Amino acid sequence: MLRILLINDTARHVGRLRQALSEAGFEVTAESGPTIDLPARVEALKPDVILIDSESPGRDVLEQVVMVSRAQPRPIVMFTDEQDPQVMRQAIRSGVSAYIVEGIQAQRLKPILDVAMARFDSEQTLRSELQVREAQLNERKRIEQAKGLLMKIRHCDEEEAYTLMRRQAMDRQQKLIQVAEQIIAMQSLMRG
Amino acid sequence: MNERDSTRRTFLKQSIAVAGLSLAAPAFLRSAAWAAGSDAPEKTDLRIGFIPLTDCASVVVAATQGFGSKYGLNITPSKEASWAGVRDKLNTGELDAAHVLYGMMYGAQLGLAGPQRDMAVIMGLNQNGQGITLSRQLREAGVTTGEQLAAHVKQSANPLTFAQTFPTGTHAMWLYYWLGAHGINPMSDVKTIVVPPPQMVANMRVGNMDGFCVGEPWGARAIFDKVGFTVATSQQIWPDHPEKVLGTTRAFVEQYPNTARALVMALLEAGRFIDANEENRRSTARLIAGKAYVNAPVQVIEQRFLGNYEDGLGNSWQDPHSMQFCRDGSVNFPYLSDGMWFLTQFRRWGLLTEDPDYAAVAAAVNQTRLFSEAAGALGLALPASPLRSSTLIDGTVWNGSDPAGYARSFAIKA
Repeated sequence: MLRILLINDTARHVGRLRQALSEAGFEVTAESGPTIDLPARVEALKPDVILIDSESPGRDVLEQVVMVSRAQPRPIVMFTDEQDPQVMRQAIRSGVSAYIVEGIQAQRLKPILDVAMARFDSEQTLRSELQVREAQLNERKRIEQAKGLLMKIRHCDEEEAYTLMRRQAMDRQQKLIQVAEQIIAMQSLMRG
Repeated sequence: MNERDSTRRTFLKQSIAVAGLSLAAPAFLRSAAWAAGSDAPEKTDLRIGFIPLTDCASVVVAATQGFGSKYGLNITPSKEASWAGVRDKLNTGELDAAHVLYGMMYGAQLGLAGPQRDMAVIMGLNQNGQGITLSRQLREAGVTTGEQLAAHVKQSANPLTFAQTFPTGTHAMWLYYWLGAHGINPMSDVKTIVVPPPQMVANMRVGNMDGFCVGEPWGARAIFDKVGFTVATSQQIWPDHPEKVLGTTRAFVEQYPNTARALVMALLEAGRFIDANEENRRSTARLIAGKAYVNAPVQVIEQRFLGNYEDGLGNSWQDPHSMQFCRDGSVNFPYLSDGMWFLTQFRRWGLLTEDPDYAAVAAAVNQTRLFSEAAGALGLALPASPLRSSTLIDGTVWNGSDPAGYARSFAIKA
């Protein structure tokens, strides 16, 4: 049985993989929070596989572990499937990076990565939907602001301001938000 | 496999031959490799990675202020969380190029920690602007200089802890060099750890470390937050030292040579713009302070960015070797001697257990020819030699002539 260490140091909380992994028949040996003592922790736990958020700043701490372990009986390497670079690309996209003890065959790791990737892929979708919604909200606020400025400059009402902005945007094949940003920028430039 | 190896050998030979020739621009501009009219970028939409540090400035300025579009490039800056992540994304092609630690490119080229990959340094992004911070507790214990630190380390019951940012990175090398220059062996007299730059100050505050070496603005931030002081700037260790580079893979340079050249030109222009005057520097500081970039108060970034240094011990000075981005291109030339220096230090500290072929590795990684074409086209002066001579803090001179001998010459080593 492979000894798996999960590192929880980002909002994504890699520890939540524990359940998915155990349902798939893998045992998670330990979890670790953000710690600058990761090298000592790895040495004590002797995991075969370490999983970490690809977007974690703690990745660089693990690089030190890899460097130090080169001289030890159990050297740890970053998982990069030489035969199938697509696997690594997918793993990085779905947001999980794996460090393994040298000598462990890629076939033994692949099912673990598959579980992790499946778990995170669904989250990724959720997260990007959230980001889109947030961006839209932000855009609406900027458009409102630009509309207000235009109403003041042109002494017009809300509807007319929107129409002016839209016309300008359509004429230039731009989005409404782009015209809004231009109006806001011009306003501060004019004020000097 | 064999075929690939022999291709690489041929390439190395060519690179070395090129490095030995004159680097005068006109010869390159007339070269058949880059005939006028065939220089349109092969790939125009680029993602350029950066880590939130003051020296990401030229990447952010190029991407956001239209320096790319002049060369037909649409540059999207991508804020990254770790150097390891940057390296992986360069290899998978998720990033086209990135603001990277000089040494890390050589670590990846040699496969020191991760997999071996052929990397390319296409230009230097900046010189100077990093530093070593010691904790307030050390100051209270009477340590304000390297000499006092050495005495303190010798009598201390528990080994002191020093942090850097990546095992093969520049900060590790500046820290080790400075400790070594003061008679402290970083491999055996102290404990060294890796801490991500934005977490340095917080970790020092809670007593997790006694010192760290990192890029700005985190040295200034430690003073601002009263948790430490600057015991040495990186430019005191090596005036005008190489620091971050624009890194990519060899495959990218070979597949998209015109894009790579255009990107160097855009970044050179952005760097020249930042260096041009104080107002541009102030605006740049305000731009990069934003949450999307360095995410630190502008007052913490701005002073050292303008060369106004204070060390947190009551000393202040105008630093002639503060962070530079262009200086007519002298900052950016990928000197082979700079690249080799990192290899000599890897050897010194046992990251390399044997001498590599120093000159061949540097000639393979540093794209001097590509850079010379780009800088020449902008009318920037090119050095007469791909090697330069530097005097470091301990008085030793490094000129690239005998790397193996230089690596062996240090009394303090792994």
